[in-house]
Amino acid sequence: MGLSVSVKKAVKGFTLDVSWQIGNELAVLFGFSGSGKSLTLQLVAGLMKPDSGVIKANGTIYFDSERNISATPQQRSLGYVFQDLALFPHMTVKQNILFGAKGVPKRETAERYHEMIDAFYINDLEKKRPSEISGGQKQRVAFARALMRRPDVLLLDEPFSALDTPLRIEMRAFLKDLRKTFQVPVVLVTHDAGEAAALADSIIVYSEGSVIQSGPAGDVFNNPADERVGRLLSGQETALRTFCRQNYNESRTA
Amino acid sequence: MDSSVFFSLRLSLQVAIAATVLIVVIGVPIAYLLARKNFPGKELLDIILTLPLVLPPTVTGYYLILAFGRNGVVGRYLYNWFDWSIMFTWYAAVIASFVVALPLMIKTGRAALEGVDRNLVNAAYTLGHSEWETALKVTLPLAKRGLLAGIVLSFARALGEFGATLMLAGNIPGKTDTMPLAIYSLSASGEQEQAAGMVVLLTFVAALFLYLANRYSRRIF
Amino acid sequence: MSSIACLLLLSLITTPGAMASELTVSAAISLKNAFEAIGKLYEAKHPDTKILFNFGASGDLVRQITGGAPVDVFASAAQKDMDDMSAKGLVLPGTRVAFAKNIVVLVAPRNSRIKSFDDLASAGIRRIAAGNPKTVPAGRYAAEVFDYYKLASAIRDKLIYAENVRQVLDYVARGEADAGVVYATDAAVRSAEVVVAAEAPESSHKPVVYPIAVVKGTKNEAAAKAFVDAVLSKEGTAVLKKYGFRIP
Repeated sequence: MGLSVSVKKAVKGFTLDVSWQIGNELAVLFGFSGSGKSLTLQLVAGLMKPDSGVIKANGTIYFDSERNISATPQQRSLGYVFQDLALFPHMTVKQNILFGAKGVPKRETAERYHEMIDAFYINDLEKKRPSEISGGQKQRVAFARALMRRPDVLLLDEPFSALDTPLRIEMRAFLKDLRKTFQVPVVLVTHDAGEAAALADSIIVYSEGSVIQSGPAGDVFNNPADERVGRLLSGQETALRTFCRQNYNESRTA
Repeated sequence: MDSSVFFSLRLSLQVAIAATVLIVVIGVPIAYLLARKNFPGKELLDIILTLPLVLPPTVTGYYLILAFGRNGVVGRYLYNWFDWSIMFTWYAAVIASFVVALPLMIKTGRAALEGVDRNLVNAAYTLGHSEWETALKVTLPLAKRGLLAGIVLSFARALGEFGATLMLAGNIPGKTDTMPLAIYSLSASGEQEQAAGMVVLLTFVAALFLYLANRYSRRIF
Repeated sequence: MSSIACLLLLSLITTPGAMASELTVSAAISLKNAFEAIGKLYEAKHPDTKILFNFGASGDLVRQITGGAPVDVFASAAQKDMDDMSAKGLVLPGTRVAFAKNIVVLVAPRNSRIKSFDDLASAGIRRIAAGNPKTVPAGRYAAEVFDYYKLASAIRDKLIYAENVRQVLDYVARGEADAGVVYATDAAVRSAEVVVAAEAPESSHKPVVYPIAVVKGTKNEAAAKAFVDAVLSKEGTAVLKKYGFRIP
């Protein structure tokens, strides 16, 4: 189980050249805006094409420039939650979630659907339109939709950035629960150090199109590889405190 | 030889509806291609398709004769193989209306389709839906408003088409005289009262159509 | 069930009115009233032929025929258009005949004070309607008359071109134009609203002769020739005179 990415892509005066891999964990792509994190996700999803490289998920090759393999987004078993959630405004919550069940055998679809709405507490919202539900509810619908096909990897592109703080914290707990229930590797893109600290099992630090450090979250926070990483983690103290508090809380409730 | 008012009205509606159906079937896919795809010669295609909007209808009619007349680029094959020419038939009126009204559908449709959030389309792809499925279930429904506006504009333009129709279909009472042509004939031969009567009728029909279109659009939105 | 299918099929392949043959006559719009009347006379004598008239500006009509429109007989408002057709080999040899003449007149709204072509140069006349010389024969004659009276430069800025002569008449009848150049036959149609201010002398323009001919390539030569004969016959010329045409 896992995702391995090694890609190069040149766009508009910027070159992305990264190489990393993760197992069944929650990995955070962390760095300033414009450093190539979202671009990497789009390449992994097949929405854009790398100039060269290899992308593999769970042993399946999605992209290999040497062997001329390039799977379409439809062929890749991925869940993707966009920054603005991308819920279809002209469909109800139920229709949105069922839209994510493409390729799932009919018998299983109904079962999975009910599983989702129970797990995410969306039972009363089924017939509503996205415009009629709250920010937190929208988040949960977006996740439910992305998980219907039981993807090999879940890609999250700063999904919580538009939320206010109490909701962000709530969603962090939600994401952790999700990991426990669905056991799927997650790649989370964020430029918020606090979020990284709260959620990451491992951190991959991006700067200007390259990875400048990667490793287990604790290691990266305690030993930033150089000044740049240190600056990036400059919410470091807060992050560290959050990190410690989270671990303390977890160990207490465990 | 004599043409009744109701023949012209029926013919006008027949021609306008047929032309609009063609416009939707051909124009919407073209608008989609222009909105979402890139290919060499794309902007040139857009310009060529928009030309009939800018040219005087008589000029467009002249080009249509060059294309569909017995010696025309397309017409000559029809004539040589089937001994049939489209000129002076009501099909010619449909073609004329189609050509002049198509740009309205394409321009409006393209703008509406371009306005659909790219993220929504990408989301559909990541959820496993092919481009075709996404177009049908996401892109087109979300562009509904603009597409309907395009249809209304096209139908209205087709209903009022005169210059190109006159050239390609001729002004043949009882066969190809749509309302605008019949009004022209009556007015030209000094029968002002009949002409005025037809003008009122055509205005009423057009207004009725617009009213129904507005009501329908309110209902589905 | 199958009998219904049979009936449906039959109705598709039998064309209604397949008994009557059709004759398509393209004629200048100034001939509309006269030709429609002659057409009725013809159909009374030849019940198995249906006449389809196509009225328009002579120039446009020639373009249609050149483009391959299925026309059997062509009657234009000027020799020039028939000459064009002839040059393109579209006239059936021996069938071209001049069947009517017309007079060019200056018309004005009912209460106008214009008395002659020279009055057009005066300051009180601001808009003069005439046919477009490029497509409308009446427009070409108007231009010749203006040259004859040496008015061309004086009225250049006052001219409004219309795409057919009846529209010129309409502009004048409504008062949109202070004066216009049309045929005597047009003025007669709206005699209540316009008045003939002057007649152009015969020497001021090429004779207004209406030619008619059978179009080469017609599929109905006999009927086409019969129609031309109808126009030239006693009844035909009576109709033409009734509408104000002169006979050459």
